[in-house]
Amino acid sequence: MNMVQQFDPAQVDYSQDLGTPGAESDVMVTVHIDGMPVSVPEGTSVMRAAAMVGANIPKLCATDNLNAFGSCRLCLVEIEGRPGTPASCTTPCAEGMSVHTQTSRLDKLRKGVMELYISDHPLDCLTCPANGDCELQDMAGAVGLRDVRYGMEGENHLDRGKDESNPYFTFDSSKCIVCSRCVRACSEVQGTFALTIAGRGFGSQVSPSEQQPFLDSECVSCGACVQACPTATLQEKSVIDLGVPSRKVKTTCAYCGVGCSFTAELRGDEVVRMVPDKQGGANEGHSCVKGRFAWGYAQHQDRVTTPMIRDSVEDEWRPVAWDEAISFAADRLNAIKTAHGVDAIGGITSSRCTNEEVYVVQKMVRAAFGTNNVDTCARVCHSPTGYGLKQTFGTSAGTQDFASVEHTDVMMVIGANPTDAHPVFGSRMKRRLREGADLIVIDPRSIDLVRSPHIHAEHHLPLMPGTNVAVLNAISHVIATEGLIEEAFVAERCDMTSFKAWESFIRLPENSPEALAEITGVAAESLRAAARAFATAGNGAIYYGLGVTEHSQGSTMVMAMANLAMATGNIGRVGVGVNPLRGQNNVQGACDMGSFPHEFVGYRHVSDDTVREQFSAIWGVNLRDDPGMRIPNMLDSALSGSFRGIYIQGEDIAQSDPSTQHVAAALTAMDCVIVQDLFLNETAKFAHVFLPGTSFLEKDGTFTNAERRINRVRPVMSSRTGFSEWEATCALSEAMGYPMPYESAAEIMDEIAELTPTFAGVSFDLLDRLGSVQWPCNDQAPTGTPIMHKDRFVRGEGQFVTTPYVPTDERSTRKFPLLLTTGRILSQYNVGAQTRRTDNVIWHGEDVLDIHEADAEARGVKDGEWVEIASRAGETRMRARISDDIPAGVVYTTFHHPISGTNVITTDNSDWATNCPEYKVTAVEIRPASGQVA
Amino acid sequence: MDYQQRHLVKMANQIAGNIPVRADVPEQICAHMRQFWTPVMQKSLRQIAAETPDSLCLEVHSALENL
Repeated sequence: MNMVQQFDPAQVDYSQDLGTPGAESDVMVTVHIDGMPVSVPEGTSVMRAAAMVGANIPKLCATDNLNAFGSCRLCLVEIEGRPGTPASCTTPCAEGMSVHTQTSRLDKLRKGVMELYISDHPLDCLTCPANGDCELQDMAGAVGLRDVRYGMEGENHLDRGKDESNPYFTFDSSKCIVCSRCVRACSEVQGTFALTIAGRGFGSQVSPSEQQPFLDSECVSCGACVQACPTATLQEKSVIDLGVPSRKVKTTCAYCGVGCSFTAELRGDEVVRMVPDKQGGANEGHSCVKGRFAWGYAQHQDRVTTPMIRDSVEDEWRPVAWDEAISFAADRLNAIKTAHGVDAIGGITSSRCTNEEVYVVQKMVRAAFGTNNVDTCARVCHSPTGYGLKQTFGTSAGTQDFASVEHTDVMMVIGANPTDAHPVFGSRMKRRLREGADLIVIDPRSIDLVRSPHIHAEHHLPLMPGTNVAVLNAISHVIATEGLIEEAFVAERCDMTSFKAWESFIRLPENSPEALAEITGVAAESLRAAARAFATAGNGAIYYGLGVTEHSQGSTMVMAMANLAMATGNIGRVGVGVNPLRGQNNVQGACDMGSFPHEFVGYRHVSDDTVREQFSAIWGVNLRDDPGMRIPNMLDSALSGSFRGIYIQGEDIAQSDPSTQHVAAALTAMDCVIVQDLFLNETAKFAHVFLPGTSFLEKDGTFTNAERRINRVRPVMSSRTGFSEWEATCALSEAMGYPMPYESAAEIMDEIAELTPTFAGVSFDLLDRLGSVQWPCNDQAPTGTPIMHKDRFVRGEGQFVTTPYVPTDERSTRKFPLLLTTGRILSQYNVGAQTRRTDNVIWHGEDVLDIHEADAEARGVKDGEWVEIASRAGETRMRARISDDIPAGVVYTTFHHPISGTNVITTDNSDWATNCPEYKVTAVEIRPASGQVA
Repeated sequence: MDYQQRHLVKMANQIAGNIPVRADVPEQICAHMRQFWTPVMQKSLRQIAAETPDSLCLEVHSALENL
């Protein structure tokens, strides 16, 4: 017993498994663990308190991301004055409690328990893939088990088969100790409830669904069960193939805007597995099938690692050295500048790249090219978010951290499908919903959140595509006319002139649910009920996705949501807010980094003399004060011959941008197309220079996720191209006459911090120290800002904006009677360049068209058969899937596979303020591929 | 009109139709174009207004007077 050592809360290593989750309480209790005093919040388990002082109690069924279960009986302790030997995981600390974790009585009990476990476990440790990384093995050692008195010949489960159906992990039931950690991880952490314990007593066994193979069950392959398993029962196939990892590097996932932190575990330079980081601010130890398993594309054979050039797109590619490729690209761009002027060239930055890589590209365009013709792929996703939130709140970003949802009483989810597109945050939402928060879903489709295990959206408003603004106006109308406005908040925090104008507008009868029911397709009573629920439930939070922004009124809709949040006082504290769910990993960062043609880093307009002079001074070059062209304007100008050269960083505009034919024609018209990417993507078919990019596993830099969290991306392996992407950009810039002599990515971030008030305190050193930080991070907020607009809005007073509903030009007609809307699914990501090159194709080998039974029947369309889809823009074909997830009159598909040509049929309509394409509304007609129309 | 011109016309009319606050619409169109449109795009629109005035709505014409 150590009576001298004192407990120091600052010394607790929270990266270790403390056995049970922490408790939240203002009341502290002091207990003695083996004589050592420790004060913990009331509700903390004895096991956790013991672990905090370094007295690790043996355990098998307990882990600190799952609620205590008390089944393995290994964590027994003795408590003075109490009878028996209670399980420490399920026993809460009480004031004055004196606990003994190591006694001869406990030793004997624990050894007996372990003996029983081992008597029904294969003794193949030396050849087991988990050898050296097995909690069962560790516990056998911890309790000093040396023999098994019962022998190994009795009735056992050792001949149970192995389920290898999942592409990424195996399920070897013979190694299972039925601790239920996997079952609980699936329910508590992921919220899918795909696993259960089937059978009773000795026959109990873990079962996916109704004793189906994993692949055929509801399992979403998030990996939570694999991570939770204390044995090799659930084991990554990569570990089985490659062996236990020998080194680790912390980094950030490069898929969606959640920005999960991972520990890359390697053997040498080879990734063995990616394990979600428990201390990751965005994911807190959870993951999805993409981040956890679908990283193999980085080593895919299609990857191009050598620069290539060609004089004409008719020619074959010619692999060359970096110097030659850079020189070729610079000569071409300079020739265009000389012949046609500086505005004949431009660039596009990528939301898949790091902040530092994006920063140098926009700097190169502005300083070396001499133009503001720089745009980013956020143009086609969240540019309306930037516009709308800046107008109303004063800054172009979401207001909350992800953890805020744990305090939300009612969630309004609009045009987003979090369980598929932002699955780790979707799991977090589901946890809060299971705790009792209300849910309003505004979406034409019946997304998973509408009804899934233990979750049901009380309010699902299946609106017709294109009527978001009408629905939000109707909701606000109810709130305004039924006395539900949070008057005190509005008076204290908002601009009253704009509020009064908005209130007068929103109270107009034309904005009532009854007046808009026919347009929106939503019953007036449903709208009224949802409005009342949002305004009266307590903390109301709005979460939205591209189903809001990718409309002709995307910016108006963002402002309508901001109005609603302000009118109901749901802004500026935990549990509320307006929260864009960003599509790609670094959409927020790419926007922050000055990728838009009208503004520098930190959203400051190029015409602001003070700002521009600051940049000019640091960059050592005169900068333009007029906005440059957006992507669609660049493409238009290419067709008219005035725009002739483009540098495209990590974006496949020939697949992802709307109206593919138009994009292809514009690219074809250019004299110099430079593509920097991992693969020869669709856009590369039109390119003259291909500069190989680096995968996230090779990058050094930062990503900024949807909650403004700046996370470090650390090089896990050496660059396969011999260059960092930012080095390639700097080389091109220098070849064009403007050197950017950075020594490291950290140095680039230092320059960003110097030029950007909201990033002033950010550095790689700070990020390495804190793990991550949410901007603004500066002298006023040295450790970042989880919740924005707390005491005042960034712009001062919140600005209400009237939001008249203006229907899109895209209407259903007799010729095109159905409305097509698009989205993404769990296993695939964006244009699929990465996920199509992984085993994720097993879940989604092709894009399909979801169609309502009535619409299918009327057209003679059969489930699984090919159909032709025609719009005003073009035609394509794919297989149909009869689905009741969508209402009659609406069809739905994804754009993960280039062969589907989804964007061949999307139109050139776009958001009025930002030109974000209207992917979500395309009038189409469907017919069986044979050609006959029913 | 070529594709680029047609697109500019569509953008301008769409801005006019969607400017949220309906007071001083021409002034707001003007401010929007100054903030987001290149000088070349602005010049092209002026040319379109002169050559095919019917393609643009009245608010856009008013805005162009001050652009």
